[in-house]
Amino acid sequence: MAQPKRRRRPDSRRPPPSPPAQPGVLVPVIVTLAGVVLLVSAFFVYRALTLKPAPPPPSQTSTASLIAEITAIPDSELARVGAGTADQSNVKRANDPPLRGPDGKPEVLYIGGEFCPYCAAQRWPIIIALSRFGTFSGLQPASSSSTDAFPNTPTFTFRSVSFQSSYLDLVALEVRDRNGDPLQTMTSEQRALLAKYTQNTIPFVDFGNSYVLSGPNYSPQVLAGRSWQQVAATLKDPSSPQAKAILGSAAVLTALTCQITGGQPAATCSLPAIRSLGDSLPR
Amino acid sequence: MTRDRVLLLTAAASGAAGLAVSGYLTAVHSASAPLVCPATATVDCERVLSSPYGVLPGSAVPTSAAGVAWFAISLVLVGLLFRHPASAPLRRLLVGWAALGLISVLYLVFIEVVVIGAICAWCTAVHVLVLAFFLVALVRWLSFEPKWQSPT
Repeated sequence: MAQPKRRRRPDSRRPPPSPPAQPGVLVPVIVTLAGVVLLVSAFFVYRALTLKPAPPPPSQTSTASLIAEITAIPDSELARVGAGTADQSNVKRANDPPLRGPDGKPEVLYIGGEFCPYCAAQRWPIIIALSRFGTFSGLQPASSSSTDAFPNTPTFTFRSVSFQSSYLDLVALEVRDRNGDPLQTMTSEQRALLAKYTQNTIPFVDFGNSYVLSGPNYSPQVLAGRSWQQVAATLKDPSSPQAKAILGSAAVLTALTCQITGGQPAATCSLPAIRSLGDSLPR
Repeated sequence: MTRDRVLLLTAAASGAAGLAVSGYLTAVHSASAPLVCPATATVDCERVLSSPYGVLPGSAVPTSAAGVAWFAISLVLVGLLFRHPASAPLRRLLVGWAALGLISVLYLVFIEVVVIGAICAWCTAVHVLVLAFFLVALVRWLSFEPKWQSPT
């Protein structure tokens, strides 16, 4: 009886016979390459078609009245909204030696960029909060990049801002302009703080090295499609999503600022809503 | 040197280069060091890497770390194929893994172009290397598939 032939298991270690050059293999390769090129081109075309032009900034008169309006929002409005819908998860305790400004007062350091939609959103509550501690000048209307996420978010730039206060010094830097080109330069100390607490993401706000804020307290989506005037108008209604986000964030920033001014001014810092927010900060 | 070995060496070279670039991006992120990259309106690494998409969702892990992991696993697969060049499961695994990488790359390019509106030059280098790796894996896979073989 003939022995059945034993089939040898294919040895996967044995080098396979080198396959002959096959013209058929080229077709899928070319199809893949063409598909990738077409898809990426489609991304660029879609981007170009959906770009919105920058909105015209408000006139000088409108700007002045807008700034007057948002810098005079009474404490009672902040107290009424409380933290609103502000996200406080980006507030961190800092542990560096106290940061002092050019006049020797506790320093609030802001680092952002004009192109950045998150910075655009965050400037609204910063202006509203710090107006309780001093007076801004040099605020100019601006909008975030047309080509970034949340394009054309309305805001005010800090590029030429100055701030008079008997409680604190504000140092504000816009490191890039609306087109993403370099604008204002950080010192090595500022760069080190940004790197230490945020891994180089903006917006960054340092409250005298007591607390730092990395990123915005609310999404720029809240401001989408609205003009400066429309945003300011919505702040009058404490139940609007904009008021809950912006005034809520401003209340949180006010509570943070009170931590470095020794609770001054008392009229603001001793408000129950602000004190309560201060008590809930990370220790 | 056989054509198969040349393909595997090309895949290994793409994987090693990709691992190096992803590793550089991850190291720069971890050290918070400045990135060597031109900054224009369209090409801007810092803008891409400092965007919320610069880290994996819900974490502080840079997206480039996923690239490091992907290239490292790719190199392991190529290494196994050097030892077992005739292994059909490994061949399929390699092309499937490469396809997964390519799909991820297309998603990241979408984020760069459509959502952020800026391109990161280093990321593009990584994307091209993933594409090259996929093409090599595809050619190698098709070369051994009977239906793609020319009649002799």
